[in-house]
Amino acid sequence: MKMTIHEVAQCLNLHVSTVERWIRQGRIPIQKTGNGYLFSESALKKWAAMYRLPFLIPEKVKSRGYEERLENLLSAMKRGGVMYDIKGDDVETALKSAVENMPVLSKTSKKELYQLLLERERLTSTGIGKGVAIPHPRDPLPDALKSPVISTCFLEKSIDFGAVDDKPVFVMFIFLSQSIKIHLHLLSRFSFCVRDNSFVEFLKTSPDEASFFAKIADFEKQLDRAET
Amino acid sequence: MNHQLLHIFRNSPLGRETLLQSIYFSKQVEVTPVIYIPKSTKFLMYFENDVVQIDLDNSYLMSPDTALEHATELLEQAGVEPRFLDPKHYTASTLPDIHTNFDYMSCPRSISDLSSKIGLGYIGGRVRRIVKSAQFPVLITSPVYKEWESIAVFFGGSVNAFNALKLGFRICRISGMPLDVFTLVENNSQESYEKLIKDENLETEMSRYVNTWHFLRNKALEENLYDVPHNALVVLGAYGHHLLKTFVFGSKMEKIQSTISNNLLIVGPNYTAAI
Amino acid sequence: MRIFQSWRYPANWTIFRLDDRLLLILVAIIVGSCSGLASVILNRSLMIMFNWFHHLRHYWWVFVLPAIGAALSSLFLEKIVKEGAGHGVPEVIYSVSRYGGLLRFRSSFSRLISSALTIGSGGSAGPEAPVVISGAAIGSNIAKYFSLNDRQRVTLVGCGAAGAISSIFNAPIAGMVFAIEVIIGEWKSVHIVPIAIASVMGTEISRILQGNQIPFSHRLFNISHMDILACVGLAVLTAAASILLTRLLRSMDKIAKKLPAPLWIRAAIGGCAVGLIGLFLPEVLGKGYHVVQTTIEGAFSQGLVIVGLATIAKIVATALTLGWGGSGGIFAPCLVIGSLAGLTYHHGLALLWPSVTWVNQGCFALLGMAGLISGMLQAPLTGIFLIVEITGGYEVILPLIIVSAITTSVCHYIEPAAYYMKELVDYGHLLRPGTDARVLSDLNVSELIEKDCIAVTQNMLLRDFIDIVKKSHRNYFPVEHEETGHFMGIIHLDDIRQYLFNPVMYDTVFLGQIMNTRVEVVYPDDDLADVIRKMDANRLFSMPVVVNNRFIGLISKGHLLDQYRKELMVQTSQSI
Repeated sequence: MKMTIHEVAQCLNLHVSTVERWIRQGRIPIQKTGNGYLFSESALKKWAAMYRLPFLIPEKVKSRGYEERLENLLSAMKRGGVMYDIKGDDVETALKSAVENMPVLSKTSKKELYQLLLERERLTSTGIGKGVAIPHPRDPLPDALKSPVISTCFLEKSIDFGAVDDKPVFVMFIFLSQSIKIHLHLLSRFSFCVRDNSFVEFLKTSPDEASFFAKIADFEKQLDRAET
Repeated sequence: MNHQLLHIFRNSPLGRETLLQSIYFSKQVEVTPVIYIPKSTKFLMYFENDVVQIDLDNSYLMSPDTALEHATELLEQAGVEPRFLDPKHYTASTLPDIHTNFDYMSCPRSISDLSSKIGLGYIGGRVRRIVKSAQFPVLITSPVYKEWESIAVFFGGSVNAFNALKLGFRICRISGMPLDVFTLVENNSQESYEKLIKDENLETEMSRYVNTWHFLRNKALEENLYDVPHNALVVLGAYGHHLLKTFVFGSKMEKIQSTISNNLLIVGPNYTAAI
Repeated sequence: MRIFQSWRYPANWTIFRLDDRLLLILVAIIVGSCSGLASVILNRSLMIMFNWFHHLRHYWWVFVLPAIGAALSSLFLEKIVKEGAGHGVPEVIYSVSRYGGLLRFRSSFSRLISSALTIGSGGSAGPEAPVVISGAAIGSNIAKYFSLNDRQRVTLVGCGAAGAISSIFNAPIAGMVFAIEVIIGEWKSVHIVPIAIASVMGTEISRILQGNQIPFSHRLFNISHMDILACVGLAVLTAAASILLTRLLRSMDKIAKKLPAPLWIRAAIGGCAVGLIGLFLPEVLGKGYHVVQTTIEGAFSQGLVIVGLATIAKIVATALTLGWGGSGGIFAPCLVIGSLAGLTYHHGLALLWPSVTWVNQGCFALLGMAGLISGMLQAPLTGIFLIVEITGGYEVILPLIIVSAITTSVCHYIEPAAYYMKELVDYGHLLRPGTDARVLSDLNVSELIEKDCIAVTQNMLLRDFIDIVKKSHRNYFPVEHEETGHFMGIIHLDDIRQYLFNPVMYDTVFLGQIMNTRVEVVYPDDDLADVIRKMDANRLFSMPVVVNNRFIGLISKGHLLDQYRKELMVQTSQSI
């Protein structure tokens, strides 16, 4: 393959002027002829191996860039669904009835999930204030899920969650993700929404699915705009 | 970004004309002029494969106390920040080294001989060696300051000529001045030159930048040169197709430089052009 | 047409592209022969001039001769060739260090002519340094003709120097060792083989044209153990002589520079002084090889005082010739001074311990020579091999090694750099491959610039800045002026860490208030060594690079280490 001097510099992870200088000083097996350069790729590779210099063709490097597409709140919430009037007087019962009603999981996984959520609550409360709680398992569930799920659960009556501001919690958002990265990403976007007090007031009205999702979509648009 | 033009300042009225020309060129092409005020008549320029000793004639050292002042004045009048070159390394106590990673260098037709030889037809030996070894084009200024308003590239089809052409495109793009290309059609046909352009995939650039492509049909080159506008910057390659091309300048180039008195931007064999 | 073109670029021929050793050997043969020829020419002209002027010795005005010679040589260098007198060998080393051995073509012949004028007329200098620089310039220009790269050109410069020395002394090993020890500075097979071939060619040329004779005849010496002990004392004496010569040369240089007269008048004055000394002690004039020959044969009949005086006189004469503008080298004067010093020592020993039978005074003369060369050049190997080769005697090797080694060490202790190197070391121009100085001088600031910093403006709020921090990969943020884009200062993440989590500050603080404006900046043409010094002095790990008041990137110690290592590895490779 005939490469230009810029490509060679890229493969060696060096600045072009470094390569040009080494050619002039005779330290790299490339010859200069008038306007062009003479070299053989195999000789270069051998030379690079001798000095333990990396010689990577950049296309291969680029293919690793298939990052996990980070999902946004809306799709995760749609997958998790919205549940109303979840019964329960305390944390355990509320969680149990919420988990029972969750659409995506099988019976055994629901039991497991309940245990994991409880464990997490025992560590510290997931009540983040203003009446909102975000129960989630401490470690991600890579086997059980292919995509993240956020279930919105409006409680029948507010319960004491041991939240940071000691206010009773009226809505729980159960976060399930297959990797920590996705979990943090969703959490960060969600906290942007919750910071807005008008959104919390909106939640207190137990809105229907359509208007709730519309509101979330609005917030997502704002976030996307801020990021670009 | 950090493009620079080297100018060696002669503190005399002739030197003033040359400096004004360099400043105008720098502003048009958006490079920074760097002025070297020589303290001794000799200095060395180490190129990639050659070391050229420049022996300036004594007029370059005239009135050293006012040199800095005069140069600064001219630069500030033109609104350019004065930048001076201070040599850091010396081969011997009277022999400073001037580095060569500039983008352009400007000099009069001769820097080693008396001013009387700055007529047409003469390009000093030192200047020739610089053109041959340098990786930058050399601007040979006309004796009197004249603001050029168009660009004229002489294209003969050789590798050197292609570099000159690309340099012309680039200057046209940055300065916005109109560009004309001149080709002497001797024994070849117009189509053969057009084919050369096509082979190098330069057709789009030709149509984008070039105003008119003049094909000069008069057999003798000198008689055609009247068509070159008097206030054009002439860009041309130093060498042609000749067998001895690395020893002497191309014959056409010699004819051109001895007939017209425009500013010449000469491209040497080690220059690689980027549009 | 293409065939004619490609013979000018042999480095690009397919057989030579991957392994150019054979190419270098072939070119070394050419270079060695040419430089050998050059030194033969100089030698011959010196002999001719010596014969011309010899019959003038008895005239009273003969002391003006060295003056005329020195003045002519100075004029020639200044006006005709416009060389600008550099001291030959340091210029070669400087060019090898910095520019891959590029030398001017005029140096190939200019020094030959000028030194012939100086020495032939009686100046106390040696023909060796001029032939070294001529040979080196020949090698460099042949390399330029074939468009060879830096590394190959440096080898050929060494070949030229080796060929010249081998030819002038008929001593191939000394030529090789000198070229490698002094000029190139690194012992690698890629240099040694072509240099060896060039030495052989130089010697051959000399033998063909001048006959195969060693400069000084061979004598058998019986060395006893007492003599070996005495060598230590001799080493000290030669060290003293070397240092005296060095210091005197330098002071003469300084005095001469202060004189407001043009160069050639200064040279003439120096020459006059030498001529005057020569009236009384004719041994100090010219190359002086016949003096050396006499002392080795033990035929120098004067007593201790005269010999001692002669030593000092020769030192002074050399300093006058070279310090005041004459053209020549110090090799030959070192030999003469050394032999006279050895003789002095011998007479001194004989005086102090008359009962011990010391070896013949000639032997001490030999050892003195080795001592002076080793001391002045601080190149003990060259000294040893040279003496062995030019006198053809191997049995003196033991005391020879002792004297050379001790003199070099003592001189190094007092004058840390050899005569040739002093100027170079002072200005930081001695850049041997594989040294820190060399790596730093090869690397360029523009090769190290990292460009992934995000710029901010001074009127930006802290809130917006935090969004930018989210996206960036760095701790440094340059602040630019909104309209002009000029660089105004730098914000380091550490500066704002304390405010990052204080939401009250988000809308009340402008970046202009927290940025650091008193920032040290770096320019792309800066010397890397200076940049590192700035970093160390201010305890910084990164510095902004600014051009025309615009920020173009960051230079950081981390990236520098990466590049430094790569550079060092490639420079000191074992095989290429």
